[in-house]
Amino acid sequence: MSEYSKQIRRDAASAGKPRWSAIWLIYVREMKDQLRDRRTLFTIAVLPMLLYPLVGMLLLQIAQFTRQNETTVCIIGHENLPESPPLLVKSEDETRFSSDFGESAESLAVVTHAWDDLGGATEARENAEKWIRSGKFDVVVLAPESFKEAGGKIRGALPEGNASLPNLELMFNVGSDESVVTRGRMSALLTSWRANWINSRLTGVGIDPARLIPFEWTEKNVAPERTREAAFWSKLLPFIMLVWAMTGAFYPAIDLVAGEKERGTLETLLCSPALRSEIVWGKLATVTTFSMSTALLNAGSMLITSTLVFQHLNVGGGIGSVGSPPLVPMLWLLVALVPLSCLFSALALAVAAMARSSKEGQYYLMPLMMVTLPLVMLPMLPGTKLGIGTSLIPVTGMFLLARSLVEGQFGLALSFTPVVFLVTGGCLWFAARWARRQFENESVLFGSGDQWELGMWVRHLWRDRQTAATPAQAYGCGALILVSLFFARLTITEIPDSFSGIAKLVMMPQVLIVFPALAMATMFTTSVRQSLRLRMPHWTTLPIGLLFALAMHPTYVMLSKLVSGLYPISEQAALAMKPFSDQIAAAPWSSTLLLMAVLPAVCEEIAFRGFIFGGLVRDRGRVRAVLVTALMFGISHGVLQQSICASIMGVVLGWITLRTGSLLPCIIIHLTNNALSVSLSRISSSSWEGARLFLTETDAGPAYQPLWTLVGLAIAGTCLLYFGTIDSPIDESESPIASHHGDYTDPTKSLASAS
Amino acid sequence: MIHVQHLSKVYEDLQRGRFVAVDGVSFSVGAGEIFGLLGPNGAGKTTVLRMLSTVLEPTEGIATVAGYDVVRDAAEVRRSIGFVSNNTAIYDRMTAWEMVEYFGRLHGMANDELHDRLSNLFEQLRMNDFRDVPGGKMSTGMKQKVSIARAMIHDPPVLVFDEATLGLDVLVARNLLAVIRTLREAGKCLVFSTHIMSEVERLCDRIAIMYRGEILDSGTLEELRARHREDDFEELFFGLLNHHEQELIAKRGGESEVLV
Repeated sequence: MSEYSKQIRRDAASAGKPRWSAIWLIYVREMKDQLRDRRTLFTIAVLPMLLYPLVGMLLLQIAQFTRQNETTVCIIGHENLPESPPLLVKSEDETRFSSDFGESAESLAVVTHAWDDLGGATEARENAEKWIRSGKFDVVVLAPESFKEAGGKIRGALPEGNASLPNLELMFNVGSDESVVTRGRMSALLTSWRANWINSRLTGVGIDPARLIPFEWTEKNVAPERTREAAFWSKLLPFIMLVWAMTGAFYPAIDLVAGEKERGTLETLLCSPALRSEIVWGKLATVTTFSMSTALLNAGSMLITSTLVFQHLNVGGGIGSVGSPPLVPMLWLLVALVPLSCLFSALALAVAAMARSSKEGQYYLMPLMMVTLPLVMLPMLPGTKLGIGTSLIPVTGMFLLARSLVEGQFGLALSFTPVVFLVTGGCLWFAARWARRQFENESVLFGSGDQWELGMWVRHLWRDRQTAATPAQAYGCGALILVSLFFARLTITEIPDSFSGIAKLVMMPQVLIVFPALAMATMFTTSVRQSLRLRMPHWTTLPIGLLFALAMHPTYVMLSKLVSGLYPISEQAALAMKPFSDQIAAAPWSSTLLLMAVLPAVCEEIAFRGFIFGGLVRDRGRVRAVLVTALMFGISHGVLQQSICASIMGVVLGWITLRTGSLLPCIIIHLTNNALSVSLSRISSSSWEGARLFLTETDAGPAYQPLWTLVGLAIAGTCLLYFGTIDSPIDESESPIASHHGDYTDPTKSLASAS
Repeated sequence: MIHVQHLSKVYEDLQRGRFVAVDGVSFSVGAGEIFGLLGPNGAGKTTVLRMLSTVLEPTEGIATVAGYDVVRDAAEVRRSIGFVSNNTAIYDRMTAWEMVEYFGRLHGMANDELHDRLSNLFEQLRMNDFRDVPGGKMSTGMKQKVSIARAMIHDPPVLVFDEATLGLDVLVARNLLAVIRTLREAGKCLVFSTHIMSEVERLCDRIAIMYRGEILDSGTLEELRARHREDDFEELFFGLLNHHEQELIAKRGGESEVLV
């Protein structure tokens, strides 16, 4: 299709504004349709209503079991235990622990054996081990002959190293839960027996044990009452709610798009007067409704059940990290639920649109879950708090914001609200846009169910080569570069201390970056020059690019300082980088420039702004191309602080290459920027007088004059304005379909199926 | 009512690469006329009709429906067309009445107007017996009637039937053809695609024979018979297809067995 008719279609698509009435109609129908489906109703309403009470009931029963269940201890050598203070009480039919020991004595049954009954020490030990492993007894306590000494007089002096103190041996099995529980009870019991013993000895020599206690302490929890109550629940409940919001979005999303495709009702809707945008909004509203109600019903049911369970169990109370949940503050969670439900729903809808059947939809949504789940898990990690760093992370920031609201820290929450909502709003916008794009894409809606086969795919790659990369190839190239860089970094164990070593260290990632792009451009496209966007732009863009880089550099330096301030570099990392910068500073200027400026500028630009950008910019992917290449460019830098700066610069460079349609201005800008970065100290220490105009010497090295930073920013802004006025060239790579017959495959090959 | 000029559609396909599903097709259909699109499976009939109903974008060429361009005024085209296809299913969990009413509302019809139209349609198509039966419990014939009612609810000037008789039993198919005839009498512009020759012979005013994305010939039945000096329509059809195959082989200069 020609660019003109594409333009017409774009205009036509944007001309029709979605009508509220139509969206409402679609929404109502989809809701009715879902509510008439028994499966949906079951998972969304019935399951949570039943699940939590059932789990609660089970919990109560388990609690009763752990309290009442009696475990058995075997004591071998009871004849060696002293009479006083008593450990065991013998009645006519059974032996039990003395009731002085309270609860732990009640829950332990005792069986006693004398050493002689078991035929000697070795055999007795073997038996004891066997009994524990087989579960006959949960714990065996061995009292050897020497234990008798313990009952004697108070010793004069402690023997060396406590080695010859009378010793009891306690055998247990860590593989059995009962054994571990019994061991806990038994050691509590032994401790209190020993304390009784000491007390009675002290009393025996005329000392009141109470007078020996030097001090007591009391504990007081000063957290506000709400935080105290909410501490546990404000962590758990948002997690439960968001996981259910995700699950609740998935099934309706699959049914509403993939399911309708499968049943053939989607085409019916598409040829009705409803606009695509109306269909998307209607369906999105439905999915969001289900996502939110699933989350609310689950969280609500869980809250109510746990309140009842905790009241019944009577645990927690005043001290508690775990207590019955406070109900009213939990309403703050709605603040997070509404936008995140919308976000999950839009993502689920966009992903589900790719599937041709419900079954396929489930395959596609699992990876989405895997990507989103860590963002929900992150706030659960101990010590994760709402801060500028965490508030910038999507989902996590919203989660933490809701948590601080529940805990009543309104000041903290308020200060981060703008950032969190900006990030969430941005994500939401992208997700919704993606979902809408999916519904405008006919290969997504009507894609044929081709059997995928390796040989066929390789043939397709070669046979259907185009002048520039396809978006899929661009993504593939980016992934290849980032993965190989990741593994290459793992092989670096230490910074070499010679310049040639440093040179190798710098060159290796550059080779890994440029090689996939060059190889793919040669193999999978018909024109290397076009696929790498190596075009001559209007000549003015080149000097203006140079000017832009010169003027922008102070701002870039400021940006890196700002980023290092926000996310400080650890001292260890800074120390590790020291030999690197020392070597660079000591090397000849020309080789430094070649290594740190020319090489990265050419290699990185060819890969990111060239091949990958050229692939992603197709099919109306301008925003996608700028953002994705910036992100990949950032990630390729490895150090977080550098990555952030590079991503921001990547957006600027992406926009410039979009406007100029060429790679060359970007290479010039990138080169100049890097060259300035590595040369600042040389310039300032040079004899050139003009350097004083721009640079000052500070303790941390040369810095730009503030005035020049401002002037530079103004100049850079003007340059950007200039780039903005350039008529963005129509990308020839944008029309992927050949229009002459020679390109078509011969139809006679599929003759048999036609007749 | 319908004008199609040099309409083409090219797909990207893993197996076949760039595949031309429709290759420079042109035809026109006027009001009060039934236009038959005849061709074997995979000839590109459905693709042409999907482009007419604005569900697919043409790769090249122009098509207008009731004076509206399918690319530029897609929404207007959808308002003036009723599309029945074996790909346009009905909702399982909606009754016949709800289904047709829903689409009426999507067309922006007012309550009174919509209900009058619904009663008339249900009467006309004899659908009152199953107006409260959900789609999932309907027979194929019932479903087809609901689809037709759904396509006719806004009384469009153009109606497109894509393989509409596929899978219907003889009686229901006969009824459908009768409905289409009454629509012609009401002055509608009708496009009817099928691979069944007898339906075309009995129903259509003009016929286009489609094969491998191209229209091999079109005209009234009499014109076609006269032009190819062949009275038997089936013979005529296969003769055309065979001839086209021969031409293709001659063009390629290769030796390939003829399968038609």
